[in-house]
Amino acid sequence: MTSEESESESGQVLQLPTSARATDIALDELELVYAFIYARVGNRADAEDLTQQVALKAIPRLREGAPASAIRGYLFATARSVLGAFWSTRLGLSESELREDLAMPVAPGPPSEEGTETVQLILAQLSDNYRRVLELRFLHGYSLKEVASEMKSTVGAIKVMQLRALRAAAKVRPE
Amino acid sequence: MNGKRENRIDKIVSDLLRGRRLKLRGGDAEEKAAITAAARLAAARQGSQRMHPAFRKRLATLLEQAPKKDRVTRRAALVAGLGLAAGVAAGTLLGRATQPGVMPVAGAAIDPVDGRWIDVAAMSDLAEGQGKRVKAGGIGAFVFRRGQSVTAVSSICSHLPCELWWDGSNSHLACPCHPASFRPDGKPTDGYALPALNAVQVRVTAEGRIEVLGTE
Repeated sequence: MTSEESESESGQVLQLPTSARATDIALDELELVYAFIYARVGNRADAEDLTQQVALKAIPRLREGAPASAIRGYLFATARSVLGAFWSTRLGLSESELREDLAMPVAPGPPSEEGTETVQLILAQLSDNYRRVLELRFLHGYSLKEVASEMKSTVGAIKVMQLRALRAAAKVRPE
Repeated sequence: MNGKRENRIDKIVSDLLRGRRLKLRGGDAEEKAAITAAARLAAARQGSQRMHPAFRKRLATLLEQAPKKDRVTRRAALVAGLGLAAGVAAGTLLGRATQPGVMPVAGAAIDPVDGRWIDVAAMSDLAEGQGKRVKAGGIGAFVFRRGQSVTAVSSICSHLPCELWWDGSNSHLACPCHPASFRPDGKPTDGYALPALNAVQVRVTAEGRIEVLGTE
């Protein structure tokens, strides 16, 4: 039995160069990072790109060996800064706007439910029309035309409503 | 933002709902809040995500093949982590002290099976220090001239398989897919600990023609 295999779940140490077991543990931590990032960028390609950046940054730390809890904190701190750089670069944001992204709360543990539940909390705080347009468009995958038909409106009006609803959703701070 | 904002935002929403990458422009910053909200809603539609098996395998390879000799001290690793955050947030704090130790060595030269030398340009076609995109069968490369010597690197990013482009104003190769860039020698510029670009074999004939080792 290797040293990695003998460690308890809570006190496990991640270290590279690595056994297959240690790689699996590191990958499981990166799964959490991936879910965290995916929940914020909403697409697989960007989420993979950013997760790989986090992994590359983390290799020196993993090689040193550290408690899994410390690694997780480090990975999420890195994920936040990588996400900050992502939004900054893609949107050409200023430093002050970037700080907002860097200040995003760190998920204390597996962020498995954060996406869906958080969105439900956000939607619940919107006005009926805003909630409806976002539910139909995002959660049910309706096209603009279908949303317009469902809400007895025009495509142009739905487009404007979608923008306003997204702005309103961005202001909601679910607790 | 060009055009009506609602149209622009709907384009972004439509891309997200089709599972496409976020393609943003500088002008989109004015609607940053709406865009990030859209990204979160699109993510929620998919539910909690796990890595695709192929991507997980790629990460495993990355972790297992990480260079073992360039051992990094705790301090260097800490600085590397802080350097990223600081470079992003404040730009200057600890930034540049960090990259070399964690970088793999420059990418190996591409040596295609049944490779053949393919004429891609004349020496006179190349401006000093400026990258020129060439294609030698299945191999894309950027060639650079320094005096009478010519070097070449792969035109494919070492991170994701995206075609690089030559950013003459910054004298580097830039990736269109993510914020990474590479110097003419193939090594990444600061900021991202990516592997170096693969080198491409190149030679100059007696007639002053540039040939790249490519494929049929």
